[in-house]
Parts: sequence; structure tokens; C-alpha cells
Amino acid sequence: MRKELFQYRGIKSFLVVLVIITILQGVAIILQAKYLAEGVTSLFYEGKTSNYVELIVFFTVAFISRYFLSLVKDHLVYRYAEKVTSSLRKSVLSKLFALGPRYAKKQGTGRMVTLIMEGISQLRDYLELFLPKLVAVFILPLMVWVYVFQLDFKSAIVLAVSLPILIVFLILLGVVAKAKANRQWKTYRVLANHFVDSLRGLETLKFLGLSKSHEKSITKVSRDYQKSTMSTLRIAFLSSFALDFFTMLGVATVAVFLGLGLIDGVILLAPALTILILAPEYYLPVRELGSDFHATLNGQEAGKAIQEILAEPLLKREETWGLTPWDEMNQLELKHTNVWKSAEEGPILKDIYLTIKGKKKIGIVGESGAGKSTLIDLLGGFLQATEPTIFLNGKGVQHLQNDAWHQQILYIPQHPYLFLDTLANNIRFYRPTASLEEVKVAAEKAGLTSLIHELANGLEEIIGESGRELSGGQAQRVAIARAFLEERPILLLDEPTAHLDVETELDIKEKMLPLFENKLVILATHRLHWMMEMDELIVLHEGRIVEQGNHDTLMERKGKYYEMQQIQGGQLV
Amino acid sequence: MKRDGWIIPYIKENKKMIGVTIFLGLLTVLSATLLMFTSGYLISKSATKPETILMVYVPIVAVRAFSILRAVLKYVERLLGHQVSLKILSKMRTRLYKVIEPRVLMMESKFQTGDILGTLSDDIERIQDVYLKTIFPCTVGFLFYLVTILVLGSFSWEMAGWVAIYLFILVILFPALSLLVTKKKMLLIKRGRSGLYQVLTDAVLGLSDWVFSGRQSSFIEAYEKEERQLFLLERKLRYFNRVRTFVSQLMVLGLVLIIIFWVADQTELGLLPITFIAAFVLVVFPITEVFLPLSDATSQWTRYQESFNRLEKYSENHNQYHSNRSKRYTNQGDCEKLIGVKNVKLEFNDVSFTYQTGKKALNGASFVVNQGEKLILLGPSGAGKSTILKLIQGVILPQSGKVTLNGISPTSIEGDISQVVSVLNQQPYLFDTTVLNNIRLGNLNATDEEVYWAAKQVELYDMIQSLPQGFDTPLHESGIRFSGGERQRIALARILLQDNPIVILDEPTIGLDPRTERDLLENMFHVLSGKSILFITHHLAGLKPEDKILFIDEGEVVLQGAHAHLLSENKRYQKLTNSLG
Repeated sequence: MRKELFQYRGIKSFLVVLVIITILQGVAIILQAKYLAEGVTSLFYEGKTSNYVELIVFFTVAFISRYFLSLVKDHLVYRYAEKVTSSLRKSVLSKLFALGPRYAKKQGTGRMVTLIMEGISQLRDYLELFLPKLVAVFILPLMVWVYVFQLDFKSAIVLAVSLPILIVFLILLGVVAKAKANRQWKTYRVLANHFVDSLRGLETLKFLGLSKSHEKSITKVSRDYQKSTMSTLRIAFLSSFALDFFTMLGVATVAVFLGLGLIDGVILLAPALTILILAPEYYLPVRELGSDFHATLNGQEAGKAIQEILAEPLLKREETWGLTPWDEMNQLELKHTNVWKSAEEGPILKDIYLTIKGKKKIGIVGESGAGKSTLIDLLGGFLQATEPTIFLNGKGVQHLQNDAWHQQILYIPQHPYLFLDTLANNIRFYRPTASLEEVKVAAEKAGLTSLIHELANGLEEIIGESGRELSGGQAQRVAIARAFLEERPILLLDEPTAHLDVETELDIKEKMLPLFENKLVILATHRLHWMMEMDELIVLHEGRIVEQGNHDTLMERKGKYYEMQQIQGGQLV
Repeated sequence: MKRDGWIIPYIKENKKMIGVTIFLGLLTVLSATLLMFTSGYLISKSATKPETILMVYVPIVAVRAFSILRAVLKYVERLLGHQVSLKILSKMRTRLYKVIEPRVLMMESKFQTGDILGTLSDDIERIQDVYLKTIFPCTVGFLFYLVTILVLGSFSWEMAGWVAIYLFILVILFPALSLLVTKKKMLLIKRGRSGLYQVLTDAVLGLSDWVFSGRQSSFIEAYEKEERQLFLLERKLRYFNRVRTFVSQLMVLGLVLIIIFWVADQTELGLLPITFIAAFVLVVFPITEVFLPLSDATSQWTRYQESFNRLEKYSENHNQYHSNRSKRYTNQGDCEKLIGVKNVKLEFNDVSFTYQTGKKALNGASFVVNQGEKLILLGPSGAGKSTILKLIQGVILPQSGKVTLNGISPTSIEGDISQVVSVLNQQPYLFDTTVLNNIRLGNLNATDEEVYWAAKQVELYDMIQSLPQGFDTPLHESGIRFSGGERQRIALARILLQDNPIVILDEPTIGLDPRTERDLLENMFHVLSGKSILFITHHLAGLKPEDKILFIDEGEVVLQGAHAHLLSENKRYQKLTNSLG
């Protein structure tokens, strides 16, 4: 069957439990039919004087057992699905932590959150719906059929013949519907998306003066959409029509055969009634599986996507190493380091040769796509080189993903993330034990004092996405305050001010500069005004270091750096 | 009820089709029931060994007929039901569009306007399900309940009364109880889910902070706590549903027993022929099968509620907006004086504007832009630059002072302002159609040649021609991603076709790298020469010494003058440019 089903933990023993319960259920179904039929029969032939009450009591017991078993089964399936998906979610999360922010960004952070949340719920629904039905479809029809077979040969033949026909038609019509849907897919997609496309672009339509007349097009396209959907549905519903048709016809045929058999005296009333009651039960598992099939497709897809993440290769496993707090004695060297984006896409950093010793300020510049962020990610330990060409105090490693290294670093990205928590807790994120006094001092150094006064609850105001939203500049100030509070010897910055307006940028820069004192600072940006503050500049172009030196020497060289300065100055060379 | 606005009118409008759908639904369940009934009868009758097969001829034909009928009816009913709901969907779309269209420029929110509108569109999509999954099945179920009682009544009114009361529990009480119980639980679950969402968002977006701070374990703790809470709630809901299903089945059992003992009495008394025993007992199953799903169908209602509330909120605001607007109108004479005129003077005279929230956006701003001039509006974000844009478009009126185009207030030609002023903003929307059609949106009457000309102007012609499908390349599915700069150029080409005297550039280069930004700005100013340009920006890229600058901060014009002049004269300006180069 479905291969990917078998990779979930504990599925085999769980399937065994399911099979046992389902078999018991099958027994209950058969007994329920048998005793009901016999009860009715004795009432038919002997009236109230018969033992029909006794038989009806048996029927009641069988009936209650059947549904009690199904209650237990549902409960177990739910718990199992919950357990599997919960552990899956945990694995995906820890995998994401191991893969680092670069992976999440590449896949789209929104998509990741949706997958972990919605995708896993869908997977749970899929397991919950699909597993018991899958088991039922293999067991129940067979049990019922065997029982019917030993009661009446003819009915068994009708049932045996009708089920394959039913399945063949189901598949056949499904294929036809799918082919038709595929043929129409393009137009269908455009029609289906037209409305949301129009709403999303409404502002633009308005600017173009087209929004009024567009109303007519909405009406027209909606009507076209209706037409094309209906023509697809007419075929798509045929498969469930076939399901209904053959089931009903099967039941009816069995009934007629039984009637004729009774007239001819080849069968008795009790078995005939039993068969009549069992006939719908025979088809039921197939119908249920068919009706839920489409509903579970999303769950299957989500399962695949999750397995893909889990299969994603991690950085090479390396033994952990220790590191004293970074000082003048420490040295990091990159010796002809290459970094590949992926096996298909080739190198993104080429032949990087770089020595960083002690505390100084290093600026990385280059146009977008030159590899600035990649270099920062390599230094941050989220990427690995193709070879162990990174030397930390002489020890060669392939990547810097190591707790000893991470604990030395404070990283400030372009858009620092604000957690949905109080402003104070956001500031003390790196040092949760910091006192309110310390937080206040850090906030003041970062220039947050006026914001704190503005907020109704001051430092205790909830900020973040669904709380009070802060501007880009304010978020950057929170990041600065974090850095003031948790003094760490290495500071990594990736485009800290590129998105801010000039005055804010200037102010943030002023607040940041004191933070740079007595630290190893590595700052990547295309905003060149930062470079005046740097001891050493590294100019990247298409993944290579093309120039290296301080501002003055590079300006004199009139190379790449000089050219970039000219572009930002607004004048053309 | 408030949410009538998005259901009742549509039911009224489609009375006939909905009526037919429900009638077909009723016939479908009736034939399923009659199939079992006649089958039971057929077998019992046959068991009495009638002399000829003709005695059971009618039931034989009936059994076959009902089986085919039930399948066919169900097919037709489903199709019709979808047809109705699609028809309603199309009406709702048009209505939502009408509600949103006039006020899209007024929307103020921390979210992207496009995203909100996307959500509303999803809401409507969801609401169409209310018909298929809740309204139709519940109505059919209730009607079938009445039919069952009436039919049983023709045998015995007393029995019909008892069964009516008994089934009332299954048809009305259980669904009502489910709705009541699940409503609260579902709300709690929703809250739990959003809590978990938040924790996960924190994990994915704040990933580097967790890693560098070494606080992964405290994250796992917070996460497990949220998950456990949610699981407990969900378990409770599932448990309720499972037990409800079990109890419903016991109710079915009860009904079977009632019927058996009643039939036993009736036949004993000779009121009912024995050939009906099996028929009466068997028919209980298909009948109750109609009622069992009703509890689920009603608890679905909670899921639609939020969508209804959101739509309701937007249509309410809409009514308010209309009452506010009655004072304004599009003045025909003013329109004629402005539209098609090639020479337009834009003037702000001591303009102040305060938002309803009390936020002062503009305070006594004055400036003039003559035809063909370029004015740079510079200032930090939130300084009042976008308010100026809205004032020029006539979507808001200044509280004091005057905004005029050739002496005419933009509000008096608000509906036609797009024929005088073009706007290029941060994220011009590219529609799900070909490149050609996207550019042509600037002027629907433009010939292909004119579109090519515009593409050449914005230096995209060669690039587009080199695509496999050229100008017929569809924008969303071709797998070809247009870069930020290219998207802006496509939008600029539209504006060229629009050919208006005034163009407002509202921070069009945000997010582009310096080289792309410089190239785009150069191209823009080049192709737009001769038009009045209002360039809203927050940094100094692309400025030329002779450019006229208006520096705005907190709603006030704090500096005004030529770029070069300010550079040499003004300390604050010098500081800005020097340190940022």
C-alpha cells in the first residue's frame, strides 16, 4: 500500500491492534444481523409466543458491542495520531534549529510555520481517518462475504461480482475526471484566483482608474468560474454516483434473488433476512474510504513535505571544542574557503582567504548577491565550507556550529525579531536573569527612553506581532539594548540599517558605535557610510574577495569600492 | 440577527433552486428508505410462498426502481446544491467588491491592505460551504423527520406521537446540545491554536536568537506547555463527539426495539400483516442514518461565525462611509476643466490634517508644483508624507487650508482623479495575466505597438522579448520571477500609457539594492520628463543638486529649498548627507 505510512513510529504494532478490534467488530456486525433476522423470523412464524425476546436481547448485546468497539477504536486511533504527530512536530522543530535560520528563510518562514501547524494537523486528520478505514476495507467485506457465502451461494456471487465492478468504475471515472480537470486546470486556476487577485490588486486598479469598471469583470468571471466548475463537477461526482449506484443495485439484486429463492423454497427466511441486513454492511467500508479519500490528500502532502525536511542533510558532525573568551590571543582564519549554495547551484563563496586576529572592526561590503550574508552566516556557524578550511586558533573545522562559539556571539540582523512578550523581557532575552534596573540602563543607552514613556505600560508593554507593533528603527534599538545588556566579545551585524530612513539610520548608528568598543565586530552592509568607522574593509564581488584594506587605501585604489562610493554619492563616474 | 445580511437575502433570491435542491434531497433519502422497506416486504412476502411470482412482481420492480432512483437523485441533488452555492458565491463576490472598492485607499492598518482583502475573499469562499454542509442537510433532515412521523401516523397516531418525541432528541436536541457544547470548546481550541502558532512563529522567526542565546531548552518548555494545553482541549472535544456518536447509536437501538415490540403487538392484534414486520424493522436503519450526521452539521456553524463577523464589520463600515460621503460629489464642470488638460498646477496652501485618532499628520504645509517640475518630499517614516498623497487623490479633505489642481479641489473630481494623477507606490500589483495585459492596464485602448513603446521606454522590451512566450508570458505561473526592479518597471510602463500630467512616486525603490535603485530612478526621471513629479522618499539616493526638496518631520515642513542650496546652507541637512553619503 502506501509506503510512507509505514515510516511512522510504532505503526506496525498499532495496525495489529486495529486489525484485532476490526475483526471483533466484524463478528459483532455478523451476530447483530443474525440475531435481528432470527428475532424477526420467529415473530413472523410464531408471533409473540416465540423466543423472539431472547433473540432480540442477543441482538442488543451484539449491537452495543459493535458501537462500543468502534468507540474504543476511535479513541485509540486518535491517541495514536496525536502521539505520532506530536513527536513529528518536535523532530521538525529540532531539525529546524539544527538547520539554522538560513534554511527557514529559503523555504519561506510563513510556509514553515503553516506546515508545522496546519500541515501536521492535516496529517493527524489523515492518519485518524485513513488508518481505521484502510484496515476495515481489507477485513470487513471479506468477513461478511464468507458468512454470506455459507448461507447462500447466489447472493455471495452477486456481492463478489459487484464489488470489483464498483471499484473499477470508481477508478475509471476518477481518472476521467482528473484528466478533464487537468485539461481545464489552467483556465480554471485563473478563474478561481481572479477574485482574490482583483482584491489584492484593488489599490493598483484604483490608481489606474479601472476599479469601477472592474466590477463587471468580477461578475462575468464569477459566472465563467461557475460554469467551468460545474462541468468538472458533473464528471467528478460521477465516481460517487457509481459508488452509490452499484451499492444500491447490489442490495436490490440480492433482495430480488433472495425473494425468488424463498418462493422456490431453496432458502429460509432467517438467513435471507440476515443477508439482506448484511448486504449494505458489505459495501460500507469501501464507500467510506472513497468518500474520505479526497479529504485526506492534504494530509498526505503535508506528510511528504515534513519527511523532506527531516531528510534534509545537516552540517557535518564535529567533535565539540572549547574556546576562551575572545581576546587578542585568539585567531580565526579562512584558508581558501569555498561555500556551496547547493549541489546544483554551485559555489556562492569562492576561495576566501581571511585572517581575523583579536578585537577589531571589520566591514564587509558588496552589492546584493555578492555573498555578504553568506559570509556572515558562515561566521555565525549556520553554513559549512566544502572542506575543513576554517582554522580557529589553528584547529581546522568545516563549520562553526558549536556552543562555545555561539556563546561568544551577539548577532544583529536587518530585522531583529521581537517576541510576543513585554518590552523588558525582549531586552533581557539573552540574559533572562537581568534586573529591571539593568534593563533600564540598557534601554537608555539604546535610545529607547522616549518610547518607554510613550507606552502606557512602559517596559511592561507587550510588543511583537500581535501586541504593540514597533517600527523598524525601534526594533533595531531593542536589539542594541540586548547587546548592551549581554556583553559578548563578538558582534555580527547583517545590514542593520539599510531599510531605515536617513535620520533614524543616523541616530541608530550613533547609538551603536559605543557598542563596538573593545569587541570583534563584523558588519556586512551596502550602506557605505559605516565603513569610515571600520578598521578593515573586505570588498566582495560575485563571491570573491576583490579588495581588502581600510577606507583611505581603497579609495585611492579607485577599484570596486571606489565605484560603489560613487554610485551611492549619486554622481556617475 | 446581525449575520442575516450574508445569508437570508441569498436564500430569498434563490428560493426556487434551493427549494428544488432540498426537495431532491428529501426524495433521495426517501428512496433509500423505501428501498429497505420494500426489500424487507419482498422477502417476507416471498417467505409466505405465494402461488405465483406475480404476487411479488410489484415489490421486485419497486426495489430495483428505488435503488436506481436513489443513486440518480443523489447525483442530481449534489450538482444542484453546488450550482446554487456557486451562484451565491458569485453574488457575494460582486457585493464584497462593491463594498470594498470605494474605500480601499482609506484603509489604514498595520497589515498590508492586500492581505486583509485576501482574508475577506477566503471568508466568502468558506461561507459558500454553509449551504452545502449545514443548511441543506439540516433542512432535509428536519423535513424528513416530519415525513416519517406523518407516514407512521397513517398506521397509528399514538405510536407516531411517541416516535416523534423520541426522534426529537436525535433531530433537535442533540444538534442543539452539540452546537452549545462545541461552540465554547472550539473557541478555546482556537485560542489554544493561536497560542501555539505564536510559539512556533517565535521559533522560526527568532531562530537565530534562540541559538545564539543558548536558550533552546526554555523554548522547548514553552512549546510543550502550549501544545499540552491545546491537546487537552482537543481531546475533550473529540471525546464529546465520540460519546455523542455512541449515545446516538444507542438511541437507534432503542428505536429498533420500540418498533419491534410495537410491531409484535400490532401483528398479534391483527392490525398489521406479518409481511410488514421485517419491513418496519429494517427501515429504522436508513431513517436514522439521515439524522445521525445532523449534530456534526450544526456544530460546523461555529466555524463560519468568524467569517460572518468579519464581513459584517466591513459592510457596516461601508454604510458609515457612505453617510459621511453624501456631502461630496464629482463635479461635472470641474472634471471637464481638468481632464485631458496637459498643464496642471498643484498647490498646497497652508494645509493641515488631523486623523480621527487625534494624530496630527500635517500642519500648515504649503508648496507649489508647476507643470513639469519635480519636488522631493523627504522625511522619516510616519512624518506625514502619505497623508499628502491621500490629499492629492482627494480621498481625504484637509481640516484647514486648500489643496488644488489648477484651482480645483481634487475631491470634486475624486472618481476621475486617476485621469489626472498617476501613482507608483512601493508594491505595484501585477495581475495574474500576461505581461502585455498588465502593461495595457494603464490604457485599455492602447495598441500593441504602444505597449511595446512603453516597454522600450522602461528598458524592458528586450528582456521581455527574450522570454519564451514574449509579451504573452503569464505573470504568475510561468516560473519566471520578475525582480523587484523589473516589477517597478512594468508598473512604470503602465503609467507611461496612462499619460497623466502629474505622477506621484511613493517610495518606489524601497527594498532595492543601490545599483538597481539608481538605474530605476534615472530611468524614471528620464521617461517622465515633462510631467510634474512628486517624489516621496526617505533617503537621499537619486537626488540631483538642482532638485527642489521639502523636508517634512512630524507633519511640519522643516526645510525647503534646492538640494545643492540646502547642502551648502543648512546644518541639519549637511549632517544628514555628510554622515550618510
